[in-house]
Amino acid sequence: MQKKWGKSITLLLITALLLMLAAGCGAKKEETKTEPTTTPETKTETKTEPTTTTTTEPTKTEAAGPELEGDFELQYFVGGYGDAFWKEAIAEFAKKYPKLKIKESAGPKINDQMKPRWIQGNPPDFVYIDGAGSNATQMVKDDQLLDLTDWLESAKNEDGKLIKDLLIMQPVKYDGKVAPIPFVFGTWGIFYDKAEFKKNGWNEPKNWDEFLAVSKQIQESKKMYPFIHTGKYPYYINGGLVDTAILVNNNYDTSIFDKIQALDPGVFKSDAVKKALEQVKQMVDAKYIDPASAAINHTDSQSLFLQHKDAFIPNGLWVENEMKKDVPPGFEFGFIPSVTQPAGGKLVAIPYTSTIGVAKKAKNPEAAKAFMQFILTEKYAVRWAELTGALDNIKADLSQSKDVSSLSKQASSFYNSPDTIVAPYIELNADVDKVKQDSTQALANGKITPEEWMNRMEAAAEKSRGKK
Amino acid sequence: MNWKTKRKLFIFVFTVPTLLFFCLFMIYPIIQGLYVSFFDWSGGSETKDFIGFDNYKEMLNDPIIGHAIYNDYFLVFWKVIGIVGLGTFFAVAVTRLRLKGAGFFRQVFFIPNILSVVVIGVLWNYIYNPSIGFLNSFLSLFTENKVEISYLGDEAYAMWSLLPPAIWAGVGFVMVLLVASILNIPAELYEAANLDGASQWQQFTRITMPLTWEQIKVSILWVVMTTLNGSFVIVWIMTEGGPDNATQVMGSYLYQMGFRQFHMGYASAIGALILILSLITTLALQRIMRRDTHEMS
Repeated sequence: MQKKWGKSITLLLITALLLMLAAGCGAKKEETKTEPTTTPETKTETKTEPTTTTTTEPTKTEAAGPELEGDFELQYFVGGYGDAFWKEAIAEFAKKYPKLKIKESAGPKINDQMKPRWIQGNPPDFVYIDGAGSNATQMVKDDQLLDLTDWLESAKNEDGKLIKDLLIMQPVKYDGKVAPIPFVFGTWGIFYDKAEFKKNGWNEPKNWDEFLAVSKQIQESKKMYPFIHTGKYPYYINGGLVDTAILVNNNYDTSIFDKIQALDPGVFKSDAVKKALEQVKQMVDAKYIDPASAAINHTDSQSLFLQHKDAFIPNGLWVENEMKKDVPPGFEFGFIPSVTQPAGGKLVAIPYTSTIGVAKKAKNPEAAKAFMQFILTEKYAVRWAELTGALDNIKADLSQSKDVSSLSKQASSFYNSPDTIVAPYIELNADVDKVKQDSTQALANGKITPEEWMNRMEAAAEKSRGKK
Repeated sequence: MNWKTKRKLFIFVFTVPTLLFFCLFMIYPIIQGLYVSFFDWSGGSETKDFIGFDNYKEMLNDPIIGHAIYNDYFLVFWKVIGIVGLGTFFAVAVTRLRLKGAGFFRQVFFIPNILSVVVIGVLWNYIYNPSIGFLNSFLSLFTENKVEISYLGDEAYAMWSLLPPAIWAGVGFVMVLLVASILNIPAELYEAANLDGASQWQQFTRITMPLTWEQIKVSILWVVMTTLNGSFVIVWIMTEGGPDNATQVMGSYLYQMGFRQFHMGYASAIGALILILSLITTLALQRIMRRDTHEMS
C-alpha cells in the first residue's frame, strides 16, 4: 500500500515538474521565435498588463469614404499627454470606417513591450513615437518607418486641405526623405514667475543685456538664485539657452542647424557656436547659476523654481501642466522663447516634437495614412490643445477655446509674431547628443571651457561620421 | 521499482528540471548576449551586421570603459571595507560587548535591507539635495554661510557620495549573518579566554575571527558580486552616470549604450566584460581568502 502511494506521488511530482517545464519552454519560445504571422500578437498583448487592448467593433451606421478594411493596429505611448485624445480620435475614426477592425496597443511602457515585434518584422501599422525608449531618428536608421515623402507632397486632410501647408514645423529630412511626421509642437524657453517679478520690481527681460541686468539685481537681492537648470538632463538648458544663442549668433540664419544635423566638419567650432558658449560662460563667471543645478532632475529643479529659490528656468511648455499640483497660489507663469538675443534683435524659438509615422512593414498602411489625414486637421489640433494642454503641429486658431492653457496661448502668440524665428527641428545622432549634454552640463557647472566643449563636440561628430 | 531506480528517479526529479531551468534562464541568455556582442546591432532593427571583435576593440579605445571599471572597483573596495567592517563591528558590539538594546539595534540596522534599492536611492537623493537637502541644512547649522555643496553634481564628490547609501543598505545583512555565527560559538571559549586575561581585541582576533571566517568570506564575496553586477541600480537612480560620466559604472554604461544610444551589440560586449571581470575577481578572492578552517570540537 505504502509503496503504491510513494510511486504515485513521485509520478505526480514528475508530471507537475514536466508541465512547469513545458510551460516555461512555451513562454520562451514565443519571445524568441521569429513569426511573421499575426497569431502570437494576441498572446503577447494579453500578457502585458498596462497595455490596453480594445477592439472597437464596427458599427454600421455611418457611410464610409474610400473602402478601408481589415485589421488596423495603432501603437501609442501614454505619458504626460494622457490618452484621452487618442481614445477620442480613434473612436471617431472607427465610426467613419466601420469595416476596420481596430486594435490599440498603448501604455506607459508600450515602447519596450512592442520592441520584440518591431525586431521580428511584425510591427503595428501606425505609431506615435514618444516617451522613454523611443527615438524617431533611430527608427529611421533601423529602417522601420515607411517613406512618406510622396505622400506628404499631395496628402490632403479630412477637410480637403493640403497637410503640408498646415504644418507649423516641417518634418526632418533624412537623406532628403521624410518618414516621421512631427505631431506635437512646442518650444523650449525661459520661464519665470511674473507675479514675483512684479512684486520685487524686477523687469521681465526681453534680451541678453536685460537678462544679465535683472540677474544681477536678483543676485544682489539675495532672495534667490537667478537661474536654475536641470543638470541631470542637460537638454533642457541646451534647448532653452545654448541652441537659441547659436541661432542668434548666426544672425538668425537657420542653415546652421542643417549643418549641425548633418554634423558638418567644423560646425561646432564656428563663430556662432563659440559666441553662444561665451554667453553661457558669462553666466557661470557671474555665478548666476544655482549650484544645485548640477545633479538634479526635472521635478526637483522645477520644485525649486516654484518655491522661489530661483528666478529663471529653461524648460518646455509642458511645465505648467506637469507641475499643476505644486504651483503655489499667486504664481503666474511667464515665458519667453529666448533671452540670448541682443537689444532690438528677434526672438528665437527652439522646437521640440513627438512624431507619428507608419511602419515600413505595416500590414495596413492605407489605414494608417488615412488615420494621419484624419487627425492632422484644425479640429483635432484644437482638441489636442484642450485635452493635453499642449500644442500640436497644425496651424489652428486656439484663441476661441477657453480650455487651452494660458501658457499655450502666450506661446502661440509668440510663434505667430513676425519677430520670432522658429528654428527648424533637428535631432542629433544619439551619441553626439550625449556628448553635447555632458559637455553643456560641465560647461554650466564651470568644469570646462567653451574651447573644450567645442573640441569634444568636433571629436564626437568626427567619430560619428566615421561610423556611417 | 527497486530502490536503485527509485533513488535514480529521485535524483533525476530534483536535478534535471533545475538544470534545464538554469540553462534556459541563465546559460541561454548569456550565450545569446555573447552572440549579440559580435554584431553591430541597434536593438531595434531586424538586421544585424556581423563585425567580429570590433565591439571589443572599440572598448579598448573608449575612455569611459576604463573609468567605469575603475569606479566599479572603487565601489567594491570601499563597500567591502564599509559593509563587512561595520557589519562585523556591529555584530560584535551587539553580541560580545554587552550592549544594551541589542535587539533594537539589530532591527534598526536590518531595516534598509527590506527597502528596495530604488527607495534608498530616492531617499538619499533628498538627503543630498543641495538647497533643500538634510545634509546641507545640518552642516549649515555650524557655518556662517549656507552650505551649498552639490554632492552628486560635482565630479570630485559624486562617487564618494554613492558610498553611504550603498553601505547603509548592505550593513544589516552582514551584521545579522555574523550575529548568528557568533552566537554559535560556545561561551566557554570566551570564558576561558577571560580567565586567561585576554583582552576584547585578542578575543576578537583569536576566537571570533577564525570561527566566523566562513561567514565573513561569504559576506565579502556577496558584496563583491552584488556590486559588480548590481551597482547599476543605485547609480542609475541617483546620477544616471553623471555628472559628465563621473559616476559611470559598467552596468550603467551598458544601459546607456544599449537603451539610450542604441548600440545593443556594444552593450552586450560590456555585459561580457562584466561577466569576465566578475569571474576573475571572485576566483581571485576565493584564492586569497582561503584559510584552514577552524572547527569547533
